[in-house]
Amino acid sequence: MRKPDTTGEYAIPNVDARVASRPDELPMDSDAFAGFYQRSAPALRAYLVRVSGNVALADDLMQESYLRFLCASQPEGGEVNYRRYLFRIATNLLRDHWRRPRAASIEDVPEQFLVARDGMSRIESQATLDPAMAQMRPRERQLLWLAHAEGYSHREISEITGLSAGGIRLLLFRARRKIARLLRKQIDADRGKA
Amino acid sequence: MMFRTCSYEAELTQAMKDGHWPEGCGPELRAHVDGCSGCSDLVLVTQTFQHARSESEHAVLGGSPSLLWWRAQLRRRNAAAQRVSRPITIAQTFALFVYVLVGVVFIASQYRHGLHWASWWSELVPSRAQHFLPVGSGQVDWNLLLLISGFGMLALLSGLVVYLASDKP
Repeated sequence: MRKPDTTGEYAIPNVDARVASRPDELPMDSDAFAGFYQRSAPALRAYLVRVSGNVALADDLMQESYLRFLCASQPEGGEVNYRRYLFRIATNLLRDHWRRPRAASIEDVPEQFLVARDGMSRIESQATLDPAMAQMRPRERQLLWLAHAEGYSHREISEITGLSAGGIRLLLFRARRKIARLLRKQIDADRGKA
Repeated sequence: MMFRTCSYEAELTQAMKDGHWPEGCGPELRAHVDGCSGCSDLVLVTQTFQHARSESEHAVLGGSPSLLWWRAQLRRRNAAAQRVSRPITIAQTFALFVYVLVGVVFIASQYRHGLHWASWWSELVPSRAQHFLPVGSGQVDWNLLLLISGFGMLALLSGLVVYLASDKP
């Protein structure tokens, strides 16, 4: 059994990594990183916002994910692997966050209870998805987003979350049934209002 | 709850991934989805999540990549500097340990033998100074004084060594 982590060390997973030329040099230059950031940040932020249910926390974790991604030696295999590695770091940071004992603060209030929202436009699918996601467990939210929004396979989700592929299959099956029921209920309620 | 995978699930997943659902799929698959609760769940959930994801693509991002890159570089350099200075810190800590050990052993051994070598000290101290010393009878226990001042000096130097050892670059 893995020892509970309070230091955040799990947030940098071990991978077969390319060794950087110098220990104080980043393995990706500023321009290459800017391009990668522009392409990957919206997806990563959406994942963190949906799974954590907290915009401020998601922004903090996103920044920390990129910092750790840059400081660690990146895996070989190009941008697809970089993105998966980034999601893995973010997933571990989320896990560290949930494990950490904490006092309730305004930062911990879930997104749906805050009146002021961020720049994301609140349109139909969000209005349907948000209440349903709020009723799911964090692990279920994680698996559902990775599988259905990011389109990752069970094996890839297993690499990101550290769960076994067989376990993911079962958890995902249950989570999908649960959220589908909630979504249908929400859609029916919206139709009733209209 | 029964865990049973539908035989059409893989085909349906691939069709949605490729953007072929529903127009690009055959009537057989569409008819199956209408009647299969698992596959209709899959379609509903995947379409909702895909829609939410495509909306988030247009979200305005707050952070600047160049600032993040600069912060990462700073963090990596600090980590490298800490790695380099770790042996020095270990050596300093070891030196402190040896210093304190030698000091304690020396003072303890000298106290046990009565500090005879320090008799010259009592001759140096003017007799008038004895009036200021907190000894009521006028008799000064020089051994005790030396021991206290030795420990004081040891504590002072230990503090200095600890400060130097903990001083981060």
